[in-house]
Amino acid sequence: MADFISRISVVCFAASYGVALIFEASRLWFRSGVRGITMIGFVTAGLFAHSLYLIWRSTTLPSIPLSSAFDWYLLAAWLLAAGSLWMTLSNPRTPVGLFVLPIVLALIGAAELSSREPFPQSPATQIWGVIHGSFNLVMSVAVVLGGLAGGMWLIQAGRLARKQAPIQGFRMPSLEKLSIWSSRMTVIAATSGSFGFLSGIILNVVNQHRGLIGSVPWTDPVVLRMGALVAWLIVVAATSRTLRKHAIGRRVTAVLSLVSLSMLTLSILWGVLGNTQHGLPPTQASVFLSAGLVEDAS
Amino acid sequence: MSLTFAGGNHRTVPIELREKLAFSSEQASQALARFQQQFPGSEAVLLSTCNRIELYAADGERSGPPPPDELAMFLAECRGVDPTHVGTALGGEQGTAAVQHLFCVAAGLDSMVLGEPQIVAQVKQAWQLAQQSGTTGPLISELFQAALRAAKRVTNETAVGRERLSIPSIAVADFASGVFERFDDKRVLLIGAGKMAAETLRYLSDAGARNIRIINRSIERAHDLAERLGAQTGDYKNLSHEIVEADLVVSTTGATEPVVSHSLYQEIEGQRQGRPLVILDLAVPRDFDSRISGRPGVWLYSIDDLSQTCDSNRRRRQKELPAALTIVEEETRRFMGELHHRSTVPVIEQLRAGWEETGELELDRLFRKLPKLDENSQREIRQAFERYAAKMLHPPMVSLRSESKAGPPHGLLEALRRLFDLKE
Repeated sequence: MADFISRISVVCFAASYGVALIFEASRLWFRSGVRGITMIGFVTAGLFAHSLYLIWRSTTLPSIPLSSAFDWYLLAAWLLAAGSLWMTLSNPRTPVGLFVLPIVLALIGAAELSSREPFPQSPATQIWGVIHGSFNLVMSVAVVLGGLAGGMWLIQAGRLARKQAPIQGFRMPSLEKLSIWSSRMTVIAATSGSFGFLSGIILNVVNQHRGLIGSVPWTDPVVLRMGALVAWLIVVAATSRTLRKHAIGRRVTAVLSLVSLSMLTLSILWGVLGNTQHGLPPTQASVFLSAGLVEDAS
Repeated sequence: MSLTFAGGNHRTVPIELREKLAFSSEQASQALARFQQQFPGSEAVLLSTCNRIELYAADGERSGPPPPDELAMFLAECRGVDPTHVGTALGGEQGTAAVQHLFCVAAGLDSMVLGEPQIVAQVKQAWQLAQQSGTTGPLISELFQAALRAAKRVTNETAVGRERLSIPSIAVADFASGVFERFDDKRVLLIGAGKMAAETLRYLSDAGARNIRIINRSIERAHDLAERLGAQTGDYKNLSHEIVEADLVVSTTGATEPVVSHSLYQEIEGQRQGRPLVILDLAVPRDFDSRISGRPGVWLYSIDDLSQTCDSNRRRRQKELPAALTIVEEETRRFMGELHHRSTVPVIEQLRAGWEETGELELDRLFRKLPKLDENSQREIRQAFERYAAKMLHPPMVSLRSESKAGPPHGLLEALRRLFDLKE
């Protein structure tokens, strides 16, 4: 069994999600009685392999479970794939996978480009690291789901404004449902993002006190970007709340949720493709700094 | 062994004659009982809906069921209509054409509204009534089972019955449901008490709407409709207040000027606190100023908007027609193949019986000559004979089945009869 699990690779579940996405996209071209069940079968198979892979990594590596950037992206992809499966089962006529699965695949791609080295850890900072990572994970998933709900809201509103019948195989949920999703996700994203940022500060202060880092890297590009994103999410949540009794409130929330998703995407891309000392072991970070490989904000 | 039908539909029979020829279910039972007396041995199903009257008959014997013109006369006589008046209005078909016609009818391809789903239930009911009346047999039952299978395939494999065609159903399912997830917590306001409003409200009630208010200039008509639909009535003078409170408005007044002007809506929209408002303006001329459509949170649909969707759905259904007809043709070929193959069964049975008889005689002779054979050996030899006979029979059976797909294999059957000296 252990041998079987150890042979599961990222390609296995990425391929399952990819095939499921192709099946989902085929809704737009032709009708089929078996497509739905086949698509669900592939997502379930992918999710099963994905779960086994994460379990295998968390039990075999000598670090805190899932504590590298690689694992973090895979965990986010797992949450979204599970959410996609649940939403597909509860809304079989809505092409949820068409929106969520590309993001799942993109996150798996981001994981492949990210470091598999665990984040630095000591007994004192371990717990703050886990809290920081978990809140950021919830925030990211909420931003993605909120952004997708916002996007679907705009598509549905466009269709209704043009007075067109729903497209075959592309029936969106109602505006009412999408509004509820996007505004709830906005609040969850802002709250978890704030706690994630705060726990990140505490983590750095503890590291500084322990002498693990020289100073808190306030000017690290990742810290700045995440700070800006959290501030933006708070503004979005507040705006959404303020405009909830205004006729344009739902549209504004949808647009802002979509902007949040774009900002998160850019932030992730920048993090994956750029260099940073964020999350690196202190010694490695100083080597990077001295070699000029990291954007030094000072 | 053949099938036939006679009858007419909305295209061939004028409504006056259709009304005279229509059968209630009691009258249909009586007609079927009469059919049994008049044509003993034949099987029959009578399909009578508001758009068609058709009598299907089948007979497994060589003489066959009554021809279409005789069936048409029978229908006329049953309803006391002068047969000379029926003349050209009622047509009919025999064999493959009759089967294909029934499959098209069951799939809704011959209906006034292409792909309408009610016809399947009506075909099923007609068959059940014939079963109760004792006029069904193996042939007509197989025919109706195959018709329902063809209808199911058309529904599942094409979109011919999928697109909605009535304005109220489109208004509710494609537009109001696009804005609201549920209707049980929404307030529906009906302005006017027209026929289309009542139909729209029925769809909304099916979708879960419970809080319905009706306002009309004539309070009596509003009360009548409210009573029928379990709704409440309101005062027409409070129109502005009612719109402020409503989530969905259905308007069908006969007013010649807009009932709600752009300026009136602008005055009250602030009081709505940003709640979305769906307006289904089904009146001609329109009850709501079209500029209201541009107000934030308002989803206004006029009868023209809904008619356009209706037309495009109708075109989409038409596009699916060739695919649906292909299915009907496939199912007809399949059914006719099976039917023709059934006609070969007596010949095959005779052939098999002849071979078995010869085999038995030869085995008896063999076992008498070899008295020392034990039971096991005898059984083995017997099984070998049976296998040999089955293998020898296989090629002619395959040829018959293959020939049956194209039509009754009369030539092959005749050849087998002559070659093996089989009786007619």
